[in-house]
Amino acid sequence: MSLVLKNVSKTYVGKKVVDNISFSLTKPGVYGLLGTNGAGKTTTIRMLLGIIKKDSGEITWKGKAVDREHVNFGYLPEERGVYPKTKIFDQLMYFAELKGMKKDKAAESINKWAKELKVEEYLQMPAEKLSKGNQQKIQFMTSIIHDPELIVLDEPFSGLDPVNSEIIKNIIIDLVRNGKYIIMSSHQMASIEEFCSEISILNKGKTVLQGNLKEIKETYPANRVEVNVNQDITTYIKALELEVENETNNNYVIKISEEEKAHKLLNNLIKDGIQVDKFEIKKPTLNDIFIERVGEE
Amino acid sequence: MRNLLTVIKFTMKDMAKRKSFIVSTIIILVLIVIGFNVPNIMKSISGEDTEAILLIVDNDNVFEGNLETLKQADLGYEVETSNNLTYDEVKVKIESKEVSEAIMIEKQDENVKIRYIVENATMMAQVPDNIVNMLSTLYSNMQISKLGLTEAQLQTITPNFEFSLEQTEEQQASGNILVMMLMSIVLFYAIYFCAYQVSSSITTEKTSKIMETLVTSTSPRTIVLGKTIGIGIVGLIQLILIVGTALISAKAFLDPELLESALDMSNITPYLGIITIVYFILGYFAYALLYALTGSTVSKPEDIQSANTPVAIVAVIGFYLAYFTMMNPTSELNVFASLFPVSSPFCMPFRIMMGLASGTDVAISIAILVVTILVIAKVAIKIYSNAILNYGTKMSFKDIVNMYKNK
Repeated sequence: MSLVLKNVSKTYVGKKVVDNISFSLTKPGVYGLLGTNGAGKTTTIRMLLGIIKKDSGEITWKGKAVDREHVNFGYLPEERGVYPKTKIFDQLMYFAELKGMKKDKAAESINKWAKELKVEEYLQMPAEKLSKGNQQKIQFMTSIIHDPELIVLDEPFSGLDPVNSEIIKNIIIDLVRNGKYIIMSSHQMASIEEFCSEISILNKGKTVLQGNLKEIKETYPANRVEVNVNQDITTYIKALELEVENETNNNYVIKISEEEKAHKLLNNLIKDGIQVDKFEIKKPTLNDIFIERVGEE
Repeated sequence: MRNLLTVIKFTMKDMAKRKSFIVSTIIILVLIVIGFNVPNIMKSISGEDTEAILLIVDNDNVFEGNLETLKQADLGYEVETSNNLTYDEVKVKIESKEVSEAIMIEKQDENVKIRYIVENATMMAQVPDNIVNMLSTLYSNMQISKLGLTEAQLQTITPNFEFSLEQTEEQQASGNILVMMLMSIVLFYAIYFCAYQVSSSITTEKTSKIMETLVTSTSPRTIVLGKTIGIGIVGLIQLILIVGTALISAKAFLDPELLESALDMSNITPYLGIITIVYFILGYFAYALLYALTGSTVSKPEDIQSANTPVAIVAVIGFYLAYFTMMNPTSELNVFASLFPVSSPFCMPFRIMMGLASGTDVAISIAILVVTILVIAKVAIKIYSNAILNYGTKMSFKDIVNMYKNK
């Protein structure tokens, strides 16, 4: 196992903000850390990276205690920041040197990632002249420039336009291919679903759901059916005592408690000769699971 | 160690490249050069390249022609005499700058009226003493010589007193108080403003949200020390530049005699120079670490001022304690000020300059200051480590204490 968090807790001014959290990354990939605001994600990440001390529990990387001096990690914090008056190249070089890189290697890496992230033209400009999105790309560069094995990305896509999100997504995919261990914290469930095979959902400092995302979803029964027809089918839906969640141009998303009722609806429509262009029974999304789990608490 | 050097290098480069730093340094240097040229500028504006001319008008011949002897005397004036000029004529001569000032001697019954006339008397409270003494002495001598006294008789009635200033205390202070005060002020401002930069730099890092990236790159101790040393080195270079420019300007532009009388440089030795630099460094460290502590407790630039106020008050108390006890350098309070770590950086160099501090005194003072710095560093780094990731409103004293107690 590479990264292990075991029964980690932290209390601030009498309030337990992280309560007995455990998870592990056994192979290269992206681990999703989910939770509402104040759920304890950032505190967990800060303890994991040794920025703050844990009260109890164990955090190890390759069997050894994690500490800033000896573990080569990269971190993109949720609080984005750059030195506004300093040239981009100079601040990237500063962080690369602090991470132990030699000047020539650092310069090589800066130029390589600047090209990948399409920010080459800004390297000699002060950060304050860059757009927010480009500043974010620079900070993303800071987290990976020294080729870390363990990377923690806190909300990596927030504030990025679709083009830049795509650039970052492709880089994350490449990083995983190159054997990197990534922990991603995000509110964007679609991003988590796209990258993460393993997740933890935190609420009020506690783990409320954890495991393989696919397996978690398997345990949930289908809860919706999407039907696209050529006419109004409200009477059919009401007849089966179903509830419409959303309807646009005869495309219905209907809540179901059991799959049998969805099949009954389809039979009724076909029997009456209604043209059905689409019929899909849907499993709950991660967003549904998140709201259900966090809502329960 | 490697990271410490990286932080120092980055901090120095960042500070030296700041427009505000470059502009303020240039302005200070230009002001110093201009300041030392003020006497020359004044001279060239008033056209007083030659000696001032004093016109003495004695229409009633009160001095019986003896005023001519003043022409040979070294009075700091070129003396011109006349015995047939009216007040209006004298006025025209002064206003046309033909003469710089004038004396009109008039007989009024039994008395003699002497009018000292200048173009503008706003800055004068009375007739200058040298004028009064010059004419009184000349008149007395004139009357004495009329009595036909011999040289020996004249000797007996001429006072031949030798005045000297002595004190009952054993310790003897020497040195020029003006130089000391000037240096004390320069040292205080250098320490204060350099230390303040540390606070401002830390708050800027919090404001720009770069702190979280920074503390995952190196330890808080490295950041605080690197920042403090980096800003200190730039500050020391700036101080050397300012003092150097002042010394060179004084030598180049001031009248050597004036320089000699106003600024006695004989007590400024290499030992004193080294000690002053040592106290600058130690004083700077003490205050910079306190400012690092206060800077880490705020995250908005507008809160820096109020967070730094307690440190500013301590610094000002330290400065005034040193400054005012300097007037009485042999007092116990001045000895205390030279040992008390809040004031010793501003006080001890001047006790050394005055020859009042022994090597042991200096060693004790430095030891107290170093211990104080170590205690401040321990507390400041601990609070900084806990406070830097705390965003939001300015922390109260209670919050800061809790930060220190936190693991």
